[in-house]
Amino acid sequence: MSERRRVVITGLGAVSSIGIGVENFVAGIREGRNGASPIASFDASGFPYVTAGEVHDFEPGAILERLDVERWGRSSLFSAAAARLAVQDAKLDPELLSASRAGSIMGTTAGEAQVLQAAVEQWVAKGLDNVDGRLAAMTPVSQIANSVNHELRLTGDAQTIPTACSASNMALGYAYDLVRTGEADFMLAGGADAVNRACHAGFYRLGALAEDLSRPFDLNRSGILTGEGGAVLLLEPLNHAVARGARIYAEVLGYGVNCDARHMVNPDAPSIAECIRIAHRYAGVKPEQIDYICAHGTGTPTNDHTEVSAVREVFGERIPPISSIKSMIGHTMGAASAFGAIVCGKALEDGFLPPTANLDKLDPALGDGLDVVPGRARPATLNIVQNQGLAFGGNNVVTIFGRVA
Amino acid sequence: MTTTVAVRPLTITACGVVSPAGLGLGALEEALRSGVDDYTAPDNPFEGAVDGYPPRPLWAVPDLRVAEHLGRKGLRHIDRFTMLGLIACKLALDESGTALTDEDRADTGVVMATNTGSLVSMLEVGRDTLLQEKPYLVNPARFPNVVTNACTGQIAIRNSLTGVNVVVSGGQAAGLAAVRFARTAIGDERSRRLLVGGVEELSQVAAWGWHKSGALHEDAPVGEGSAVFLVEDAEAASTAGRSGLADLLACEVGYYGAGDSEWRARGLRSCVERALERSGVGADDVDVVSLGATNHRRLELLEDRVVQEVLDRPVPRVRVSEVLGELYSASVPLQIAAVLALWREPADHARTALVTSVGGDGNAGCLVVRECR
Repeated sequence: MSERRRVVITGLGAVSSIGIGVENFVAGIREGRNGASPIASFDASGFPYVTAGEVHDFEPGAILERLDVERWGRSSLFSAAAARLAVQDAKLDPELLSASRAGSIMGTTAGEAQVLQAAVEQWVAKGLDNVDGRLAAMTPVSQIANSVNHELRLTGDAQTIPTACSASNMALGYAYDLVRTGEADFMLAGGADAVNRACHAGFYRLGALAEDLSRPFDLNRSGILTGEGGAVLLLEPLNHAVARGARIYAEVLGYGVNCDARHMVNPDAPSIAECIRIAHRYAGVKPEQIDYICAHGTGTPTNDHTEVSAVREVFGERIPPISSIKSMIGHTMGAASAFGAIVCGKALEDGFLPPTANLDKLDPALGDGLDVVPGRARPATLNIVQNQGLAFGGNNVVTIFGRVA
Repeated sequence: MTTTVAVRPLTITACGVVSPAGLGLGALEEALRSGVDDYTAPDNPFEGAVDGYPPRPLWAVPDLRVAEHLGRKGLRHIDRFTMLGLIACKLALDESGTALTDEDRADTGVVMATNTGSLVSMLEVGRDTLLQEKPYLVNPARFPNVVTNACTGQIAIRNSLTGVNVVVSGGQAAGLAAVRFARTAIGDERSRRLLVGGVEELSQVAAWGWHKSGALHEDAPVGEGSAVFLVEDAEAASTAGRSGLADLLACEVGYYGAGDSEWRARGLRSCVERALERSGVGADDVDVVSLGATNHRRLELLEDRVVQEVLDRPVPRVRVSEVLGELYSASVPLQIAAVLALWREPADHARTALVTSVGGDGNAGCLVVRECR
């Protein structure tokens, strides 16, 4: 590869349970807003736990300009809407964008799980040969990125990366590679997922679901809240952003990716630590330069303990402030890391430490010297931050962002 | 801003194929040359479901010989979709001859194309939430199978591969995206070698999905399978004295779903032209074209026309889905495998193939493959 460019984030788009649009979303994050509510997207009667982080006020038609909202599933509508918002936020001419080598890389865990569940309901009620044929074209996982390219009329890569709960960090890393190496001039990168019955049931059965509140790092944490939404970032070359006078949130400094190759569900601390080291190596940074960690922080007893152990292994005595935004928006699955990246970008630009909400008592088993930024955001000057994504399948991806002076 | 630059080739050093023609490249070659005598009918993977398959040809992988390839341990909760991928990987790793050392395994990753992963596992959970006594009584041991990356996770676990591990979904053209991803990952030294391929599984749900969508010709068969290639940087392989089957040259993709069919044709054409240019290959150098839209209404003709326009002469075509059935996101890997299968018969020069794809969702692309000599 001959060309290497610096890549920056110039647009942020968020469709979340605590706010739509990056300003609303980040205002919610800063005040520790709670996005949990009674489940409305499916009939949750019969489930012991009936709370999730749903986006109740999402009106796709109000944001989208091209997509026919009847022909795309909820996850695709989330991703396309977040992408449209990111382009608006970047103040980039949509015509220029669609005439450029531009595309999207989108992460997801369950793809169009709500569409699949609708098909299953028709199947169970009426038999397979009576399922609505239109659903077939709406179910592919690839629709999550296709919807972005379709909405913005982009002709570059439309690539969905369904690697579960670190998927949007992988998407971000790969999109960064494409811009950095000159394969693309602009990329939309992020993730989307929708709350669904199967996911709610599965996490409950694994004993990993919280009853009403996600409490990462808390002594009494009990698990995740399933969440949903779309989170998209616009990546462009630094020189182009500077030339057009764009607001630059952050530079993507690099990322690390590896696979535990040990267990489908249980995270592995040494492997996560190795992933962090890989990220630092690729980003050209040292642990002491990291000012903040946006944790995967699911709020299950196992995750938080393993993740903090991994961080200790890399950072030793001084652990940077580390928080979990899942305490507010729940576990948005394939969108989780992209929401984390948006928060990192805004934290670098505006100068604050994102909080961990719902913290009553920090779990002493996590060890000393841990600042999880309880409650509300705190002002802080940040220069380099890291964003962690862990997933089923043992897929770890850590992205590193820096402030462009 | 972007300039068109030459790409660094990847070399395929080994290949594993699991298809309705049987296991291995030899079985595929025979099927392409003389057809398949008896296709195997698919099973019903859904316990308690009475629904049959739609009335069209359905071609399953005949006998996976799971125990022979994977042993008997640790497979109880692994679904058939993942088995297809695991066996294709096993065949590729076995064919490579030298066993991977621990160090090699840390430097080896997995990139697989698929649509949703195991639709059977996903829908099993979906059905359980409706049919069990309580909606949460899904099988916890099988729940992790619902994630689309369950197969790649298992490939990593069973082979101790800790390198980059990823799934790409891009509909019909997903395998091209896998090649693009692999080139970036290897070019950036994220992994020294990768298992790159794709997998799809036949079930009555997938078959009904195709049947009801109306995307395929009425009598078009639906198949299943997996092809996986062990790839590394071409220069690195050659420096180390490792011989390859073929080089993967440029791979260009794009999304053309937002326009009409002329827009798609122009898009596919631009992918083919860019791929040739970035490979340093002229239209006259192409020996064979491995087509992907076979049996797809409208798209089949569109793909054929675009290829004809760019090459401007009759070039032999390979239509792998005529012998394996519709393979969706495993199409491109098996299109590549079909070229390799036909190239088992030696020629007097290093041959060049185009692998093209255009899907109903609007994704399209082209890969240039060159035989190693």
